[in-house]
Amino acid sequence: MRVLVVEDDALLGDAIQAGLKQAGYAVDWMKDGVAAEQALATEPYAAVVLDLGLPRLSGLEVLRRMRSRHQLNNIKSNQSTPVLILTAMDTVDDRIRGLDAGADDYLAKPFDMGELAARLRALVRRASGNAEPMLQVTGVRLDPAAHRVLYRDKQIELSSREFALLHALMLNAGKVLSRTRLEEQLYAWGEEIESNAVEVHIHHLRRKLYPELITTVRGVGYLIPLDKLPQDEDA
Amino acid sequence: MWQRASLKQRLIVLMLTAIALVWLGAAAFTYHDAREEFDEVLDAHLAQTAALLLVQTAHDLDVLETEHAPLLHKYARRVAFQVWEKGQRLRLHSANAPQQALTNNERGFSDSTIDGKGWRVFSSWDESGTYLIHVAETSEVRAELAGDIAENLLRPLLLSLPLLAILLWVAVARGLLPLVSLTREVERREPENLAALDTSSSPREVMPLIERLNRLFARISASLQKERRFTADAAHELRTPIAAIKAQAQVARAASTESERNHALDNAILGCDRASRLIAQLLTLAQVDTLDNSVMEACLIKDIAAEVIADLAPAAVAKGVELELLTDAEVTVRGNPELLRVLLRNLLDNAIQHTSSGTSVQVNISHEPAAACLSVSDNGPGIAEDDRARVLERFYRPLGTQASGSGLGLSIVKRIADVHDATLQILAMSEGSGLRVKVCFRA
Repeated sequence: MRVLVVEDDALLGDAIQAGLKQAGYAVDWMKDGVAAEQALATEPYAAVVLDLGLPRLSGLEVLRRMRSRHQLNNIKSNQSTPVLILTAMDTVDDRIRGLDAGADDYLAKPFDMGELAARLRALVRRASGNAEPMLQVTGVRLDPAAHRVLYRDKQIELSSREFALLHALMLNAGKVLSRTRLEEQLYAWGEEIESNAVEVHIHHLRRKLYPELITTVRGVGYLIPLDKLPQDEDA
Repeated sequence: MWQRASLKQRLIVLMLTAIALVWLGAAAFTYHDAREEFDEVLDAHLAQTAALLLVQTAHDLDVLETEHAPLLHKYARRVAFQVWEKGQRLRLHSANAPQQALTNNERGFSDSTIDGKGWRVFSSWDESGTYLIHVAETSEVRAELAGDIAENLLRPLLLSLPLLAILLWVAVARGLLPLVSLTREVERREPENLAALDTSSSPREVMPLIERLNRLFARISASLQKERRFTADAAHELRTPIAAIKAQAQVARAASTESERNHALDNAILGCDRASRLIAQLLTLAQVDTLDNSVMEACLIKDIAAEVIADLAPAAVAKGVELELLTDAEVTVRGNPELLRVLLRNLLDNAIQHTSSGTSVQVNISHEPAAACLSVSDNGPGIAEDDRARVLERFYRPLGTQASGSGLGLSIVKRIADVHDATLQILAMSEGSGLRVKVCFRA
């Protein structure tokens, strides 16, 4: 799950990046409004954590431009990506302005790292049209908060990348995700992407769960079908 | 008591006194004038009577048997006459005339007192020189008449004074109505209401007062607003470092590796340093803001600079920055030495922070026409032209500033310069990059 953090304060930005990484996110951290806008125009994000008092371009303006950008033929425009505003300005008026400009949630500084991670999970969940905190597809249950995957009520040990990959596929169950899209979801900017890393992780997931869970669409990508039942369950 | 008396009472007392005084003056004049007039009339009357009597006496005295004449009028009781033959023998007199001569005077007017009774007498001899005639009138008559006149003059005043007082009370009350309504408006105000008073319906006399009040309201409201904004800004500015400390601490607690934990803990400590520096700077700023310039004294800038440089030398050495003090003269400035130290420390802190290691930071002290100048130059990145005015604003940090800055340093410098009536210039170094901040004190 890749998120964008926009925060101009070095110490706080560093902490949010580290904390969200611990929570299993791939994090891009931008320190001003213009850089944030560029990142939003080029990379797909599952969620955005946005400070309001930013240099060069205010957080509200970034939000407004992001929401009003037309999708055109670029699916990465992030027009409907959930945004959480994180700011020291927390009067009711500030909150109203932020929410009206298109924010989905509002958290005032100082905040709790665990709460930030939980709110992001909720935003991502709701954005994917799912109110249930547990994701369930064809016998596999995934708990984003606890970072657990259960298969036949047995906990399956997954690496954080494997977990993120499975999370992305389950969130978009029934839809094909391209390899590039999956890579973008797994790695933050500046992180080295090993070649065929996605294939390797898919391979591990199939082995640890069951092979038919993830279907390969040759030349396009991967998907988890919505209602495919595991074959060995019949056996 | 008089100072505290109400305006209304004061006006009424003053006006009634003035009216009474004028009235009394007029009455005194009228009385005096009237008295002179009737004295003359009565004297003429006496003379006239004497003349008549003389004529009569010349013809009829021989045939008159009676010694005294009858009284014909109530006032006649007060008019008396005597006819003396050769001035020796009293031949004829009125009933109320005394036996002795009314006066020793033999011609014209005179005043005399007989048996405690005052008389105004006119004396004359007849043509033949046989009879001396005294025609007299008791002074009582005149006193009584004068008393009547005086009473007539004063009675209306006494009667009208209370009436005047009532009318004045009403008139003054009406006249002071705008003042009363102004007082009410001020009285009714909430203490937080600092809006200007309405001047449209106010009389000219209180306009300066209202204008002063309005100016005062405006000033108080501006300074209140400034204070509120500052408090809000300060609280807001403290939230970010505290959020950073908390988040770093939580990251440290959840860290899975030693290096990750240490990194987070180090950052948390940095965050604490930054928060405490910010608080120290806020306190300094508050201190400068509340300072009056009563503690100004002659300060030798070189000594202050040497002291501050010595304080900061360890930090500069640690960063590999050389500090230099360049001075061409003994420059003295009137100011608060503690504040001047704070000013220079902030400038040097900034310079050391922004200059790259291996370069030097220079403190220049120089005499200029009509000014004593102190400048700090570094070899750092400088400040973009557009940002130069804004860096003096509180909490403004140009893009790319290290997080350790409070955003207050230059506003403190500016404030101290203002207190000293000094000018502050932010200049680009002529050769290459670098910043030069120059403070000039009026000589």
